[in-house]
Amino acid sequence: MSDVNRFEELVLPHLDAAHNLARWLTRNPDDAEDVVQEACLRALKYLGALHSNDARPWFLTIVRHAFYDWCRRNRPAEIARDDGTAIEMAIDDAAIDPEQAALRSSESRLLANAVEELPLAYREVLILRELEELSYKEIARIVDIPIGTVMSRLARARSLLQRSPLVYLIGERTSGGER
Amino acid sequence: MNCNEAATLVAAYADGEIDGLRSDLVKKHLLGCGGCTAQYQSVLALRAQLRAEVPYFSASPALRARVHATLEAVRAALPSRPRLATDRWRWLTGGALAGCTATMLAWVLGTAVIDWRTNEDIAVDAVATHVRATLNNHLIEVASSDQHTVKPWLSARLDYSPPVQDLANDGFTLTGGRLDTLERQRVATLVYRYRQHTIDVFVRPQSDHASPPALRTVRGFNVAHASGSGMDWLAVSDVSADVLSPFVQRLARAEVAP
Repeated sequence: MSDVNRFEELVLPHLDAAHNLARWLTRNPDDAEDVVQEACLRALKYLGALHSNDARPWFLTIVRHAFYDWCRRNRPAEIARDDGTAIEMAIDDAAIDPEQAALRSSESRLLANAVEELPLAYREVLILRELEELSYKEIARIVDIPIGTVMSRLARARSLLQRSPLVYLIGERTSGGER
Repeated sequence: MNCNEAATLVAAYADGEIDGLRSDLVKKHLLGCGGCTAQYQSVLALRAQLRAEVPYFSASPALRARVHATLEAVRAALPSRPRLATDRWRWLTGGALAGCTATMLAWVLGTAVIDWRTNEDIAVDAVATHVRATLNNHLIEVASSDQHTVKPWLSARLDYSPPVQDLANDGFTLTGGRLDTLERQRVATLVYRYRQHTIDVFVRPQSDHASPPALRTVRGFNVAHASGSGMDWLAVSDVSADVLSPFVQRLARAEVAP
């Protein structure tokens, strides 16, 4: 079977997942498509390294690498900003006060906005877990971090979302929650 | 199990990551502990809300088409007969010598060369050139939306001066230019952006060449041709034909004085 056929059979079924991840990482439709296109080329190139039936995490790993390479070229500030205490600052700066948030027309946009505003390191773990429904082990492999770090980043992502003024509605819904 | 022990496990439990015995222990603790139960439920509630309200961005048909076009380009570059051992060996050697990037490039260059040799067809050549530039991220050598920057850059490198227009008002934004070789001739390539699509426009002086048809589809790309202002204009893109044809005709008419 040629590489192209193998790609079509194993990798192409995960194009939606690839695009979803790229879209949440880039936060821009055009850039997401460029990243996916680049990831497809790389996947074709390295197809020999795809052994078993774990094509989805394998492809998503490539998408993520393609994104970081793209990001280093196009938005180096985003990666530089995305570590250590700077993350906390970014969250506080980006926060919109509840009143302003309440004025937003669509409730569902609020949560999407809050996810978009998560720092990259937390956003990618959250998307892989909650939208792609991958296991800790798979996420650890994709992001190349220990499982313990997956758990702590996930916990942090969730607490940021729950604390974010953009999603203050969640706290009210889960009465008896932390709020 | 006390709250301290449970705290680190509750989220993992909600994620279905805890097995067997420990799972039973967490479950038991949750039954008797309001605080941990609330924490558990807040993870479930957040998940439900995320899945209900946060969009899942599936790949657009345009992206699918783009990927398919790339695959077809790569497929066309591969031998159609079953690959012989020698072919595989040659491929491996190429990879070892030049690295994987170079192999990709060689594949695509190979397409261009094969097409050009076996089929003296400028439309096929133009598509191969377009794909090659896209794959190598080498669409633009002079980046500018200003026709007065792009035109002198091209004129300085060619023995003719192609008319350059920016049609941004109609959605076709000039993003730059580069030099290509079509049918062994140096040509000017103008790069436009239309929505998410890239349009390459190859411009060369009109000659005795048999004109290509006004519109063709090659490997999923549309190729539109027009003549005017003393030039041959060949536009290649994945935008639909009803957008591409009028666009290239408009460029050929060169309504704006160069």
